Amino acid sequence: MDQPAESAVVRVENVWKIFGDRAKDAMAAIRDRDLTKPEVLEEFGCVVGVADASFEVGRGEIFCIMGLSGSGKSTLVRHVNRLIEPTTGRIEILGNDVSKMSERQLRAVRAKQIGMVFQHMALMPHRSVRDNVAYPLEIRGEPKSRRWAVSEHTLELVDLAGYEDRLPKELSGGMQQRVGIARALASDPEILLMDEPFSALDPLIRLQLQHQFKALVAQLNKTTLFITHDLDEAIHIGHRIAIMKDGRIVQIGTPEEIVTNPADEYVREFVQGISKLKLVKAHSIMEPVESYAKSLDGAPRAPEGADLDHLIDLSVGTDQPIVITDGDIEVGIVTKPVLLRGIQGGKA
Amino acid sequence: MSDIQVTAASDIEIDKDALDASIAEFAERNSDYYIEVFHKIHNRTGWLPNTFNVMAALCGPLWAGARAVWGFFWTFLLLEMIAWVQIGRGLWGDLGADEMAKIERFTARAAEMREKAAAAVAEGADPSRYEAVAGNMERAIAKAQEAADVASAQAMSILVTGLVLLAVFKLVQGLWANVTYEKQYSRWRIDRSVESGFSTRNLVLGAILVAVIAPLTIYRFTVSAPWELITAFPEKQIVGQFISAENESLYTLTAKWFDEQFNALARNYDAFFDSITWGIRTVLDALIVALNGTPWPVVMAVILVSAWRLAGPRVAIFTAAVLTYVALYGYWEESMDTVALVGAAALFCVIVGIPLGIWFGKKPGAYRIAEPILDLMQTLPAFVYLIPIIALLGTGNPPGVFATIFFGMPPVVRLTALGMRGVPEPIKEAATAFGASRWQVLRDVEIPLALPSIMAGVNQTILMCLSMVVIISLIGGQGLGKVILEALQYVAKGQGLLGGLAILFVAMVMDRIVQGAFKRKDQK
Repeated sequence: MDQPAESAVVRVENVWKIFGDRAKDAMAAIRDRDLTKPEVLEEFGCVVGVADASFEVGRGEIFCIMGLSGSGKSTLVRHVNRLIEPTTGRIEILGNDVSKMSERQLRAVRAKQIGMVFQHMALMPHRSVRDNVAYPLEIRGEPKSRRWAVSEHTLELVDLAGYEDRLPKELSGGMQQRVGIARALASDPEILLMDEPFSALDPLIRLQLQHQFKALVAQLNKTTLFITHDLDEAIHIGHRIAIMKDGRIVQIGTPEEIVTNPADEYVREFVQGISKLKLVKAHSIMEPVESYAKSLDGAPRAPEGADLDHLIDLSVGTDQPIVITDGDIEVGIVTKPVLLRGIQGGKA
Repeated sequence: MSDIQVTAASDIEIDKDALDASIAEFAERNSDYYIEVFHKIHNRTGWLPNTFNVMAALCGPLWAGARAVWGFFWTFLLLEMIAWVQIGRGLWGDLGADEMAKIERFTARAAEMREKAAAAVAEGADPSRYEAVAGNMERAIAKAQEAADVASAQAMSILVTGLVLLAVFKLVQGLWANVTYEKQYSRWRIDRSVESGFSTRNLVLGAILVAVIAPLTIYRFTVSAPWELITAFPEKQIVGQFISAENESLYTLTAKWFDEQFNALARNYDAFFDSITWGIRTVLDALIVALNGTPWPVVMAVILVSAWRLAGPRVAIFTAAVLTYVALYGYWEESMDTVALVGAAALFCVIVGIPLGIWFGKKPGAYRIAEPILDLMQTLPAFVYLIPIIALLGTGNPPGVFATIFFGMPPVVRLTALGMRGVPEPIKEAATAFGASRWQVLRDVEIPLALPSIMAGVNQTILMCLSMVVIISLIGGQGLGKVILEALQYVAKGQGLLGGLAILFVAMVMDRIVQGAFKRKDQK
């Protein structure tokens, strides 16, 4: 799943964001003395929003940033389209340094290459659905005929054909957020920034929109930064997940990596409640074939990419361990105790 | 998780030690007493107080001061003083003093008249005129004597009233002191900045307050001829220390200084003020020509149709009635002048006020500076700034409109700023995220979303202008205000009533039409 770095669409390097009048002083002090977040607040009256964040997102990848409220995830993502200026650090979009852009260039990038969806929809209440969706094009000075055509097309993508001339308030929350997504897609941007887009919706609609969104992004091949406070959502949607705590990225990895190998106690607590059945694959729990003394004749076989769910199915019908294969080669075995521990989350 | 023991409701008891410690921390001195009475108060079920604080009853405000119960302090200081003044009046108050002074005056006058009568007799003239006056004086003396006797007889009852009042107030203080103090304790538990404990500093402060307030007040109200220094502020003596010039005071000097400033302003910026006048006159003349120069049937028809289109049929019918009234009573020209004056003033208010409001809405710092000025513009009595306007711009319609602009501007500025600040941040952020420039955010998001508030401001500004347009008749403004001013000068009641009604109707029509127009826009 890891995307090769050469095709990075978004690259964030050592970004710090410190809020407050004395941000520069605080930054210098952090460099020199390695202050913690509360110390910075006490000494300089500055709040550390993002601390030393670095990551890359490849083309077509969905990169989730997960963290609790106040962890700096929304702040971090707003650096990508420079709604927030970093205190230090470098942000590149398609190889261009965002902080070096002029006001005009920046507006062009925002209008053409980045679409953003907000937690509270942030639709303009006085404009029709159509005019909301077409707003990025309107800013770019596209003619009305094109705006209308594009907005109709994009609304079709999110299943809202026929609602063009309604006002946002006439639509339900889920529909409004689909309008938000359509607006983000309208200018056919390279990058989508999703700031907790489904958090304000009720669970059923959220699930439905998650599915729709995943399919849509795969189909359109958009590079996506997806913010969420819900680990389930991150695992469901993301190719990779970055977990943030107190402005710092604690761990970056695929859902499986995060679940099977949490970087610290904080991540472990999060991961505890997550079902591993579909996430953990055979290769991450299997033991060497040599460790099993008895015969393996007639034992069930499974490829190393098989998930726990599948292994349980196989294990139910036999007393023998499951042989894990890579092509024709036997690479390991999974015994019942190992399988049970694997379901628990890899306790030794 | 620790085990939780379930306790029957009747067995639940408060953690007495912790509560006692907390009360002791609050009360500091004499804490055992307050622990006991606070428990009594906590156990009380009715509303009647069930404790009596002897200290509070005896020392009164001094207790409250030492305990920093300042509300209690001021209430009972005032009440006790009423009682003490009565006691003082009863004991040493010279109750018949006024009457006695009268008697003295009358006696002197009577004696003078008698003398004159004697002199008249000596000269052989008729003394009866003087004798009659002297007789009257003597009768008045007898009457005054009677009143003085009654007054001094009242002294006893006043004294008793004062004593009773004092006793009642002391009793109430004793009963309510602990209740009030317990309330303070409850507040202190939530907010540790609430004053607590017994502090000598507070006791001294309370004593000083009592010492300053009580003796002077009691003296003032019990002595018949109190020292002049305490009854009237000795501004002449104080100012006289600094100003040596004869016949001058701080007041006249400051007023003169302002006079000079205004005169200098008028002299030096002559061209500037002339251009203001010229600008206003141009707009005003155009409006007057449009409303009064155009044949009246055309104007009426336009007004009626716009009332209908903008605000609906009901307002149109009302407008027709008002137009009929105004025309039949001969107020047509004055009414149209008034509308033109309001229109010109409101136009300038909107042109200047909306951009100002937008600016203030975006820059809270600027608004903080502007707010007191806006308050001043709205609260300064209209009459007051008519004077500098006369000094700077002269009299007539344009200065009147200028005064109206000044008076009518604050609502539209305020409400525009309010509307701008009320625009949800996420929507602005969204527009920015899609590449909108600041101007585009203003045009596409902020102004449309602030529009209802801006329109409410415009409507209020129009009404403010209308009320001011009446007052500017004082500096030569035309229109219906002039009708009222004339009626006022001659106490012409009927004329005043008819003119007043005309203003009221014109105001209602303008308000209805403007509001109707905005409402329709909102609903769309």
